[in-house]
Amino acid sequence: MKFIKHTIVVLILLITSMSGAQVKFEAKVSKNKLGVNERLRIDFEMNKDGDHFNPPDFNNFTVVGGPNQSVSNSWVNGVRSFTKTYSYFLAPKKQGSFTIGQASIDIDGETYKTIPLKIEVTTAVDIPKDPNDPNYLAAENIHLVAEISKTNPYLNEAITVVYKLYVSPNTGVDNWQEISSPRYNDFWSQNIDMKGQKVQSGTYNGEDYRFLVLRKTVLYPQKTGKLNIEPLTLDISVQVPTNRRDIFGRRMMTQAHRTVSAGNKTINVKPLPEAGKPADFSGAVGDFSFDVTMSKTELKASESFQAKVEVKGKGNLKLFNLPNISLPSSLEVYEPEHNESVKTNIDGMEGSISDTYTVVPQFKGKYPTPSISFSYFDLKTQKYKRLSSNEVVINVLEGPLSAGNVNSNVISSNTKQPVVLSNDQFAFIKTKSKFSAITPSYFFQTKLFWVSLLLPFLMIPLAIFIRKKKSERDADVFGNRIRTADRLATKYLGHAKKALGKKEAFYIALEKALHNYLKAKLHIETSDLSKDRIKVLLSERGVEEETIMDFSSIMENCDLARYTPITAVTMQEDYKKAAKTISLIDKQAS
Amino acid sequence: MKPIFYIVISLFSIGLFAQNQSLFEQGNQLYNDGKYAEAIDKYQAILDTENHSAELYFNLANAHYKLNHIAPSIYYYEKALKLSPKDQDIKNNLAFANNMTIDDIEVIPNAGFSKLIRRITDIMSFDNWAKLAVASVILFVLIFLFYYFTYSTFKKRLAFITSNIFLFLAAFSLVIAFHNYNLSKKDKPAVIFAQETVIRSEPNNRSQELFRLHEGTKVQIIDTINQWKEIKLLDGKTGWIENEDIKAL
Repeated sequence: MKFIKHTIVVLILLITSMSGAQVKFEAKVSKNKLGVNERLRIDFEMNKDGDHFNPPDFNNFTVVGGPNQSVSNSWVNGVRSFTKTYSYFLAPKKQGSFTIGQASIDIDGETYKTIPLKIEVTTAVDIPKDPNDPNYLAAENIHLVAEISKTNPYLNEAITVVYKLYVSPNTGVDNWQEISSPRYNDFWSQNIDMKGQKVQSGTYNGEDYRFLVLRKTVLYPQKTGKLNIEPLTLDISVQVPTNRRDIFGRRMMTQAHRTVSAGNKTINVKPLPEAGKPADFSGAVGDFSFDVTMSKTELKASESFQAKVEVKGKGNLKLFNLPNISLPSSLEVYEPEHNESVKTNIDGMEGSISDTYTVVPQFKGKYPTPSISFSYFDLKTQKYKRLSSNEVVINVLEGPLSAGNVNSNVISSNTKQPVVLSNDQFAFIKTKSKFSAITPSYFFQTKLFWVSLLLPFLMIPLAIFIRKKKSERDADVFGNRIRTADRLATKYLGHAKKALGKKEAFYIALEKALHNYLKAKLHIETSDLSKDRIKVLLSERGVEEETIMDFSSIMENCDLARYTPITAVTMQEDYKKAAKTISLIDKQAS
Repeated sequence: MKPIFYIVISLFSIGLFAQNQSLFEQGNQLYNDGKYAEAIDKYQAILDTENHSAELYFNLANAHYKLNHIAPSIYYYEKALKLSPKDQDIKNNLAFANNMTIDDIEVIPNAGFSKLIRRITDIMSFDNWAKLAVASVILFVLIFLFYYFTYSTFKKRLAFITSNIFLFLAAFSLVIAFHNYNLSKKDKPAVIFAQETVIRSEPNNRSQELFRLHEGTKVQIIDTINQWKEIKLLDGKTGWIENEDIKAL
């Protein structure tokens, strides 16, 4: 078996070596894959001349050139080799995968055919490459690169764009000029001066290159979302080595112009977080310190002082507003003077900005300037931070107290200085006080109020009524008489009435009462009050005889009663009689 | 039982009165020594006994002023001024305190007739006007009765005229008392206590911000809804403010 295997192998080897001498007819393409804008060469090669060459149908290609025939004959070591080639240049009509069909030829009476070839046509290729084209070489050896420090910064976070020109060691750059410089829309940008730049060496895609930093720019994104950085385009004159060499064997250089651009870059700007965003946040991003200083804290009215609101640090210093100082309204505050001393380096802006307010107090007093706060977004901790200034009290020691006093003081200060009692001093506390309940009790609209307001009015009709009654009574003559008698009786006989029933006391009181009455009526002294005198006096006054008689009888009774027993009934009668007599005398006497 | 209770109460209140006096004096001493915060505590203790006086509020306000408390000092000056509206010291120190405030509000002055009426109304409190009205009515009635009962022509004329004057005075002071009463009912001043506060167009947080006010500004309360108060500035601007930012006098 082993023997048979070996003989088969030997036979196969012999057959293949024999086929080397056989007729060969092949189709070769320069490339199997090409862009739609590229061209393709197809060669049909045979090692023996034949007739009736029949090319395939290039239905998806246009035949740009050909068929070109070439024949080569060579004898090497007595062996002749012959090649005949038909070449076509083809340009594809469209993208896709195509098959170039079979070509056929008759050689020595036999028909040979090639194998169909599969060609893939892709999208257009950038540059049809030609390794000897100086422009191509320039493109291969010179690169402009934009390096961006951060592609997803926060809004207002500083990013830097560095443009570097990479040149391979075997090419040289004569000079360059900018065709278009990028306009950084939606960014605040600042170019950093790059004078005295040096060529440095570095690597580009793993190869050694020399590079030059053309430009550094600091950018502060002013919008969120995807922002485009426009390319920087340069026109460069380049020295490119060629294949030719001079007589010393050195490569000849040729000049080429090359337009390079650092491609579009897109930056995704993140918005600042909404969570915990302070109300007074004005867009400051970075790392800051905040200070409010006053040039003076004690001064006179109408002198001025400076209030300075300052923010120092790193960040977008020029891109936010300083918080406004809020001062008491009675201070005259002028428009602030804005000062910036900001340096921009590769890390961004650094320095300080400040607002200086000139303030002139008008009136005496204390003016606390409330603390003002400044908020910023700290990039390190990615959190908002708030800095507050200290509360400063401005003490105005001298000056008018309020607007009302201003004019008088101003006028007087022009002339001599009058000695004015300074009542515009802050008054001392009061040392004495009377306390009352906080919940007040009002008199107004209480019941007492209404009653005391309206009751007096009721008094008027009441008084009028009483008056009327009185005049009625005055008009009633008879009734009046009785009333007079009663009155007289009660007036003079009051004591007697009280003593009624007690004989001695009654008659003494009665006598006394009669005497008193007469004294009052007749204006007589007690000394000459004899009975006869009384009679004379009464009759002189026109009192009737009968009445006089009654009177004297009562008087006699009084005398008698002291010595005689008298009953209560008699006493009663005597009392009535006395009353009657008195009223009669009163009426008749004139 | 009742009389004993009243006696105890009156004794207690006398004791309280004496205690308040001593607190007041202690407070004054602390104030004079520059210990304003302690003085405030003493004065506040008097207020806690539901007793007050213009002088107490004045001293309390002074102590707050010395400590640069804008809103409380203005608040207590205004309270003191309410109790004794003619005190020059209070007005003077209130002007000092008002200098500390930030908001500049132009006061629209009353002019002409309304100013006159206002000045007359403010001579006395409505209570005193009411008392004057009652006194005038009593005098009117007495003099009228005198007129009615007297016989001499001269006396009658004189009495009639004076009684009419008193009747007019009574009516006038009654009207003024009512006017003053209505004014004081409408007059609900308040002082802003928040350092800075937003005044909104509606009583909710969604509505538009109208303006901002700062500590110590005096406003008038017009209306109250839930946690919000409608306020009116002296220059006529109105808006809504949250309860906690404001303290009514």
